[in-house]
Amino acid sequence: MGLLDRLSVLLGLKKKEVHVLCLGLDNSGKTTIINKLKPSNAQSQNILPTIGFSIEKFKSSSLSFTVFDMSGQGRYRNLWEHYYKEGQAIIFVIDSSDRLRMVVAKEELDTLLNHPDIKHRRIPILFFANKMDLRDAVTSVKVSQLLCLENIKDKPWHICASDAIKGEGLQEGVDWLQDLSTATTWKL
Amino acid sequence: MAAASSSDSDGCGVESNEANLKWLDAHYDPMANIHTFSACLALADLHGDGEYKLVVGDLGPGGQQPCLKVLKGPLVITESPLPALPAAAATFLMEQHEPRTPALALASGPCVYVYKNLRPYFKFTLPQLPPNPLEQDLWNQAKETVITTMTTLKKNLADEDAVSCLVLGTENKELLVLDPEAFTILTKMSLPSVPVFLEVSGQFDIEFRLAAACRNGNIYILRRDSKHPKYCIELSAQPVGLIRVHRVLVVGSTQDSLHGFTHKGKKLWTVQMPAAILTMNLLEQHSRGLQAVMAGLANGEVRIYRDKALLNVIHTPDAVTSLCFGRYGREDNTLIMTTRGGGLIIKILKRTAVFAEGGTEVGPPPAQAMKLNVPRKTRLYVDQTLREREAGTAMHRAFQTDLYLLRLRAARAYLQALESSLSPVSATAREPLKLHAVVQGLGPTFKLTLHLQNTSTTRPVLGLLVCFLYNEALYSLPRAFLKVPLLVPGLNYPLETFVESLSNKGISDIIKVLVLREGQSAPLLSAHVNMPGSEGLAAA
Repeated sequence: MGLLDRLSVLLGLKKKEVHVLCLGLDNSGKTTIINKLKPSNAQSQNILPTIGFSIEKFKSSSLSFTVFDMSGQGRYRNLWEHYYKEGQAIIFVIDSSDRLRMVVAKEELDTLLNHPDIKHRRIPILFFANKMDLRDAVTSVKVSQLLCLENIKDKPWHICASDAIKGEGLQEGVDWLQDLSTATTWKL
Repeated sequence: MAAASSSDSDGCGVESNEANLKWLDAHYDPMANIHTFSACLALADLHGDGEYKLVVGDLGPGGQQPCLKVLKGPLVITESPLPALPAAAATFLMEQHEPRTPALALASGPCVYVYKNLRPYFKFTLPQLPPNPLEQDLWNQAKETVITTMTTLKKNLADEDAVSCLVLGTENKELLVLDPEAFTILTKMSLPSVPVFLEVSGQFDIEFRLAAACRNGNIYILRRDSKHPKYCIELSAQPVGLIRVHRVLVVGSTQDSLHGFTHKGKKLWTVQMPAAILTMNLLEQHSRGLQAVMAGLANGEVRIYRDKALLNVIHTPDAVTSLCFGRYGREDNTLIMTTRGGGLIIKILKRTAVFAEGGTEVGPPPAQAMKLNVPRKTRLYVDQTLREREAGTAMHRAFQTDLYLLRLRAARAYLQALESSLSPVSATAREPLKLHAVVQGLGPTFKLTLHLQNTSTTRPVLGLLVCFLYNEALYSLPRAFLKVPLLVPGLNYPLETFVESLSNKGISDIIKVLVLREGQSAPLLSAHVNMPGSEGLAAA
């Protein structure tokens, strides 16, 4: 960052840019979450399964997010690791109503956490326990228990219960990411 | 958040097995109350919502309350009673219309119940057999036949989402192919026995092959245009499963083994299982193009084979009675197993898992491909070959003569050894003895230990002597003559003596050990001890 850029960030004229990876199994609601975070005039009405990945941008009060919305389908999941280096934060979305595939989500999360590009970085991870509106959804506490999130000791993480269709719980997560970026202990 | 410290408290991962790194334990419910076998399991996107459901034709506990169950994830979403025990379940596409939701067919008794969108749609009943007019009244009910097995056959396209016909095997030794829309009988084939397992490949309108494993222990192979079997495979035992893997028919038999056959009935291989086979099904991993056979065994193992090669073994808490692999929910490679006690196990294959043949190589060993450095034919070789060709008979005779002479000489030497008791084992009836000598030490002083054993079972031996014969210029022994104590049968008696080497030139010689009976000059047995060279003197 040049001096002018730094100055403009300090004066609040220009927002700090953050690269975020949005990961999670297929049909967990990644694209719906990102879509809901975009300004209402830029939102699309029907969400289709993502092929490969797509890049989306949205802003919060002090940050400008560039999101790599990765496809969660099994055959595209090997693409994720190529973007780990560029990511400064991770959003991991879980379908709380899919009890059967909770183990698959855990497996993918463990693979992510053990990847050499992630393992030794203090990269923040924001979990969305999505689809809270569904009848057979489990609570976010249960999700964090099933994914063994308490074992993540060296990275800041946070889990939010969310309903991406209504947009509930999404702002809480984004605020957490933003607070973290302004805290002195950790720099994005 | 994340207050609980237990890694996994319910359901998931309880069964996790360190050795089994390929599978994720998605669900285990030992009290699921599902009693069925592989033919009655089917996976399909029944509502067309991308969420694959599991269809179970459940026999009920003890075969008492048959019902149709549909599961979504770990939960039963619908359950409806059936009038008779289910024989087979299959899903198939009936027509070309959108949305392409598959219909569900369940064979039970003499009927096939067809459901669309999980609502009853059609009931096909097997045609009545022509009864003998004289017995008509008596046999009216007994003459009704039932369905024993069912499968699907693509109508005219090989696509994954093509329209399929139902193929039924019946108790009156017939195979029927039904039209997918009108449920009329398109063709009828007769078999010499009752079919129990069916495997079909090809398309009905073009060309197809049908393999039917029957109750008489034979597998009959039929083709389009053939009303009767074209080939027959005679098994030495009853079949317990029939799976087609690519072009190979894999049959499990009651002799705890899997056999591979070609479509023409030629046997390719046999693999022995450690326990009885309870059920079999196909494992097809589309993403890696893998087809393998899964076999559920009575010892609580599920073994996965590609041809002869064992790819994976899954240990289950109870013996597995039905197996099904495919897309379930939204996960492609899901394995569903039900156990003898009515339990339900769901495992998901890891995305990164690759089935490798563990150690057991298929095909020729690598050494076979190595080129040997064969020398060129020399002049000598050619001459010798010519000579062998011309004087073959004479050479053979000369060789035989020499061989006889050698045998004679060996026999003579043996006889002499026996007569003069030169051997270390005496086999005479009075003194069965065994002698074994050990030399220890580097020299110039050696320790010579004789192990003497009475090999008779009951008689002790008394009054034996041991005598050493040696060159007195080379060795000196404190006593050249020992008295042997009473030899109790079976025990090993070590007799020790010191031997001092006198030569300073490092010469070694033989010491003869004779075992004698008091008052007899002929030794009972003897041993020649090859003394080692004295290291101590050589070094000095």
